[in-house]
Amino acid sequence: MSRHDAVVVGAGLAGLTAAVRLAEGGASVLVLAKGVGATHLSPCTIDVLGYDPEPVDHPRDALRRLVDARPDHPYRLVGADGVAAAIDWFKGCFADGPLSPYAYAGSVDENMRLPTAVGVLRPSAVVPETMAAGDLRAGGEVCVVGFRALKDFHPVLLADNLGRAAGVQARGLELDVSPEDRADVNALGFARAFDDASFRARVIGQLAGRLGAGERVALPAVLGIADPHAAWRDLEDRLGRPVFEVPTLPPSVPGMRVFATLRERLRRAGGRVILNVVVTGAERAGARIIAVRARVGLRDAVHEADRVVLATGGFASGGLELDSGWVARETALGLPVAGVPAPGDSRFRPGYFDDHPIGRAGVAVDGDQRPVGPDGAPAFDNVTVAGATLAGAEPWREKSGDGLSLATGHRAGGLMLAESGAHAGPAAVGMGG
Amino acid sequence: MARLRAEVLVIGGGATGAGVAWDAALRGFDVVLVDRADLAIGTSGRFHGLLHSGGRYVVKDVVAARECVAENAILRRVIPQCIEDTGGLFVTFEDNDPGYGDRFLAGCHTAGLPVEEIPVAEALRMEPVVNPAIQRAFIVPDAAIDVWKTVWSLADGAVAHGARVLTYHKVIGLHTEHDAVTGARLRNELTGEELDIDAGFTINASGAWAAQIVRMAGIEGIGVIPGKGIMIGMNHRLVNTVLNRCAMPADGDILVPIRTISAIGTTDIRAADADEIPVTQAEVDQMLAEGERLVPGLRRARALRVWSGVRPLFQDEKAGGAEVDTRDVSRTHAVVDHRKRDGIAALLTMSGGKLTTLRLMAQDIVDAMCEQLGTDRPCRTAEVRPPRNEDGRYYQVGSRLAKREARLLDEQLICECELVGRERLEETMRARGTINLDDIRRQLRLGMGPCQGGFCIYRATGILHGVGRLSGAQASTSLLAFLQERWKGVWPILYGDQLRQARLDDWIFQGLLDVEHLPETGTGAPAALLEEEPIPA
Repeated sequence: MSRHDAVVVGAGLAGLTAAVRLAEGGASVLVLAKGVGATHLSPCTIDVLGYDPEPVDHPRDALRRLVDARPDHPYRLVGADGVAAAIDWFKGCFADGPLSPYAYAGSVDENMRLPTAVGVLRPSAVVPETMAAGDLRAGGEVCVVGFRALKDFHPVLLADNLGRAAGVQARGLELDVSPEDRADVNALGFARAFDDASFRARVIGQLAGRLGAGERVALPAVLGIADPHAAWRDLEDRLGRPVFEVPTLPPSVPGMRVFATLRERLRRAGGRVILNVVVTGAERAGARIIAVRARVGLRDAVHEADRVVLATGGFASGGLELDSGWVARETALGLPVAGVPAPGDSRFRPGYFDDHPIGRAGVAVDGDQRPVGPDGAPAFDNVTVAGATLAGAEPWREKSGDGLSLATGHRAGGLMLAESGAHAGPAAVGMGG
Repeated sequence: MARLRAEVLVIGGGATGAGVAWDAALRGFDVVLVDRADLAIGTSGRFHGLLHSGGRYVVKDVVAARECVAENAILRRVIPQCIEDTGGLFVTFEDNDPGYGDRFLAGCHTAGLPVEEIPVAEALRMEPVVNPAIQRAFIVPDAAIDVWKTVWSLADGAVAHGARVLTYHKVIGLHTEHDAVTGARLRNELTGEELDIDAGFTINASGAWAAQIVRMAGIEGIGVIPGKGIMIGMNHRLVNTVLNRCAMPADGDILVPIRTISAIGTTDIRAADADEIPVTQAEVDQMLAEGERLVPGLRRARALRVWSGVRPLFQDEKAGGAEVDTRDVSRTHAVVDHRKRDGIAALLTMSGGKLTTLRLMAQDIVDAMCEQLGTDRPCRTAEVRPPRNEDGRYYQVGSRLAKREARLLDEQLICECELVGRERLEETMRARGTINLDDIRRQLRLGMGPCQGGFCIYRATGILHGVGRLSGAQASTSLLAFLQERWKGVWPILYGDQLRQARLDDWIFQGLLDVEHLPETGTGAPAALLEEEPIPA
């Protein structure tokens, strides 16, 4: 049995953001999670809004239009100003974080266009400094460098597609350099190698004389995990040109950097994270949850809390489940799930890129992010929902994933601090804008 | 226009056509095998993988049962590497017709099928997930057969004996002269180019599409009603023995362990068009409900994929004539002799049949061809093993893992689910000359495991782009076509862990890679591969 001001369920971007805010605002915080969150799966660029459905150049303006047009979209909860406040806060987290001076660049005002690992120029608002030189809105010459041993990044394919974008010239090079000369090394293995100056020197040696005068260099997002800023700067200095990272298939090294940064901040503020526990339910008193039950191995532990933040993610993370009888449930607290077609109605359409009826399913909330039932009344007074669990969005399509998680997690923390009367800082509650 | 010459043209690259090509090539004929798409892409590649012992037919159709008994034994001998010797269980339930068990036993004895009744407790020890309410249990020599491996092995065997295999070549016309078929016009479905084949004899092994083919020679009155059957592939081997409900054949009464998964089947629904057989959510619901009776808890197990195939149910307006026999018993086969039926020589059509008797079907139709040609060349397929079966050993489920472990450190693993290494993938891409990743999937099982290509398909696209010197546009086509084809097989079963997986894959392909905004796509054959080898062998 433990007692905390707040229990946060889920250790992805939304959960950690809420937890850090709460802890830094003076609350005692416990994070319970089945494992590390979606940070390790996502590129961890903060994509506020990439498509609506046309490519978005100015997310702040597009957000206003989106909130007007789609009153059920979770961005209505935070608004453009709430998103901006969350981004400022997020960037600040890196300033004295464990990876400092590793930092994020960009703002909610403009989308950059950064290549993906298949060479699509994807809109992103706020990205690691190590990716920013990949903004090809104005075109440019790029040499995409990959490694034969890294199967999750194919430089020549990337370059062939990228070269078809306006004003971009691109070519790919595949190098036969790998840690310990192994044939199969994942992104994390390469990232650890890139922390080592001698490995970087081998890569630089292979590129000697092979780069054109005006070419910048794209590399997979594996440029260091312990000190990415140093690894990236060293490559830029010694290659004498801009160098940028392109996200690979998971595991996501940039995501691990975010996880490490937020977790360290939480630790410094006195918060705790327990991984490998599954929240299986809650004890309630009237409209409030007074404790959550968490299973560790075969044993249930009870954690008392004044408030609960639910940030367990959507179907991808196991926060939501659909059984073979087509009944959906929210797995931690048993909250109602909205947006699931009735049995017998179609849940999916036959085209992969079609608009699927179940696509926006999730937990519906009121203006204070409290879960509501089908009647619109709050299911609990002291539960706040954040991140991909929320109904109303298809973040993987909108390219709004980490923006939504960050902004709703940030606001969840702020709302709880405001309610408990603790000091929440100047940008405490982004209340729409 | 290009022209090819062959003694025998075989239309249809399913199990029947590959079997015919192998049989005819072994007898010394110069053979060309054509298919409008890839090999084993129609009915053959869309069944549950059961090599029948004959048990399913012993009560209803003893002729079919006897054929299965004999052919099961022969295939075990000649293509053991395509077969896993799982054995089969037939189990009865309380609500069955109470006399069925005894009739089943008697039928087995009549058909010459080795059968042994075992105590229920022993059956449940063998297969602990089987419904404990079973009343009786019988052991028979059912087995699991890998149909893609089978078809490719037979086709490669034919090629080794001089045959040519043209995939993605659609028959768009049959040539006739003096009341005989003399060949066909083909269209290369990848390049659009047309090609004429002069053939001394034509064998129509196109199954559910057979009526469309013979109509090109002016032959009417043959109808093929597609009977749709759906199957669900479950992650894991829920059973290690083929499990059959011992009753008159019905929906959802067979569970087959096939390689790393198990397939539950099937249904029988008449479809309007053999090319339009989508699976509905309602059919999946029904199959899960039936399967739950066989294996309680099936609904909570993870479904990987669902597919549907069409049984060709022949109807012949001229049926009843002495020489024309398409019968109402759909599971046995018959050779339709168009010289006798329609006065058109040098053309035979295979009607009906089933995978287990593919060798016998090929033998019968090639015998009929020899008779019409007035030549006596004995069939050798009951004795000769096609390529990759020479060692005489059955497939074992752990064999891929054993091979992989030997090379754990020095070869890149591209598909973790199905243990496909990079070298094998590159070799297959070179040999196949296709930009269709689905072709590679069927041959190597790439992307058939739990993640359904979530990780390996990006990798395979990158590798194919390099190996085939594809343009970016062609690579994009390959990737997007694979994603759509995969979606067809997963959306009706997206619940539980597989919905979770599909959503993760959405995050990867859409969220991370943004594939839906790839610049324009392009089709056509990979230039590099075609320069080296015009006809895949």
